[in-house]
Amino acid sequence: MDWNNPYIHSVALLIAITVAFLTIMLLVAFTVLAERRVLAFIQGRLGPNRVGYGGILQPFADFIKTMVKEDVVPAQATKFVFLLAPMIAVITAIMTIIVYPFGPTITIPFTGWTFPLRIAQFDVALLYVLGVTSVGVYGIALAGWSSNNKYSLMGGLRSSAQMISYELSLGLSLVGVILISGTLDIYSIVEQQSGWFGLNWNILYQPLGFIIYLTSAIAETNRVPFDLPEAETELVAGFHTEYSSIKFLLFFNAEYINMITVSMLATTLFLGGWNGPGVAELPLLGVLYFFAKILFFLFLYIWLRGTLPRFRFDQLMGFGWKFLLPAAIVNIILTATAIFFRAS
Amino acid sequence: MVTTLLFVIFAGLAIGCAIAMVAQRNPLYSAISLVGVFISLASLYVMLAAPFIAAVQVIVYAGAIMVLVIFVIMLLNVEEEERPSRRLRFLLPAAVILAAVLIAEVIFVLWSVQTSLYTPGSNVSDTGLTSSIGIGLFTTYLLPFEITSILLLMAIVGAMSLARRAGVMTVTSRVVPGAQVLAMDIADPRGVSDETPVATATTAQAARLLGVESKQDSNEQG
Repeated sequence: MDWNNPYIHSVALLIAITVAFLTIMLLVAFTVLAERRVLAFIQGRLGPNRVGYGGILQPFADFIKTMVKEDVVPAQATKFVFLLAPMIAVITAIMTIIVYPFGPTITIPFTGWTFPLRIAQFDVALLYVLGVTSVGVYGIALAGWSSNNKYSLMGGLRSSAQMISYELSLGLSLVGVILISGTLDIYSIVEQQSGWFGLNWNILYQPLGFIIYLTSAIAETNRVPFDLPEAETELVAGFHTEYSSIKFLLFFNAEYINMITVSMLATTLFLGGWNGPGVAELPLLGVLYFFAKILFFLFLYIWLRGTLPRFRFDQLMGFGWKFLLPAAIVNIILTATAIFFRAS
Repeated sequence: MVTTLLFVIFAGLAIGCAIAMVAQRNPLYSAISLVGVFISLASLYVMLAAPFIAAVQVIVYAGAIMVLVIFVIMLLNVEEEERPSRRLRFLLPAAVILAAVLIAEVIFVLWSVQTSLYTPGSNVSDTGLTSSIGIGLFTTYLLPFEITSILLLMAIVGAMSLARRAGVMTVTSRVVPGAQVLAMDIADPRGVSDETPVATATTAQAARLLGVESKQDSNEQG
């Protein structure tokens, strides 16, 4: 197959994008189900177990139920922005999946076609991820503002303040990995971690960076214990209080897609992506490793939600600015010094 | 062919958003249009083989600065702008002249490019890539880079010193309740390292001791 032929290339890209999109959507559906079942297990309940075998069809039932509900727009809302906000949220959430490699280059048996399991590879992939993530703040801020509701506005303001603050420590915690790899291209960063039978992962050199990244990522996705924007005991539901039907579904999806993409970034940068023992001999094993690592992070999210209480807002901001940010800077200085002495 | 089509789309988006930004009466819509301009410009940078500049454009302008602008608009709840006053009418001819100069410049650039003898090579340069920009910033252009960062630092320090003017309060200065929260030793220097309880008989005495005499107290004295 000639991959440089523009027509074949376009068709292959379209297929790759469709497969990636469907994978993410299925993953979202079953993360929601897993979250409800695991939370129920942690709290000594049963959880949804009626629709399908063990509740396996529950996400689809929920989907249909939400879709057929009435789409309410508040009379005092700013209509255009009210409609725009959920679109921004879900589009920016899903745009980042194109840079993550799902597996190594694989060969289809009998045909001899080889292709890498990724959609795009470019020089500034990591900056692209950070840029798209930073635009995602608009979805939440505008939703809070346009609803014309005090709880929504408070939720939107809290959320944008939180996301701006934690974006800094999130970006700085990645600098250590960039210093070690010497590139911003995610595919190359993953390939560099393939030594030692696929266990030469960046987390071994960047344990502090990994912890800072994980904490900031949980805050960036507005999840427990940093779910101040939708603290239901204070703000009803935060920025999406006034949203119903499919618009609510878009916000809901955006949150879970963000969880997945953030887990993908952690996997590719710190846990070696698709690398693992035996990938060199059996490339398809890499896909399995990749998704196993993502599922680990998703389980961590649910586990934290089941065990930890919520921060207070001043504690949250203090933690981000006074602890995580200095820690990230210290991590950069340590890494740079180590690289300098190893080179000289 | 595809490149030309993409250029027309993004250039049109950039110009349309720019016009919308100026024409909108609602400041929030203006801000959203400006974000649209930045993102269209970033797309144009990508097509000019400068992906690093494009990414930084989105991260810094669309992702940081404009979020703060929208934040302020949301917090202040800025209403729709009134019709502009006639005070600045005399600037209209100046605007027309400046626009004419700009159009003349554009025409001159287009004409000189068309008639120049230089033909661009087919090989893609690596000028816009991250590594070449990094090498340039930290070797050839180190001094301008550092001077720019010091300029930014000055802006931060200036903003801090303006915002923290409340820190140099005297005992007698009046505090608007709820306007700022200060540590007790800033508000009252006498309170530092003096933990003896002070007993007062009346509210007026206590107020006088703390330097927060109210109007009612002075009435009692008079």
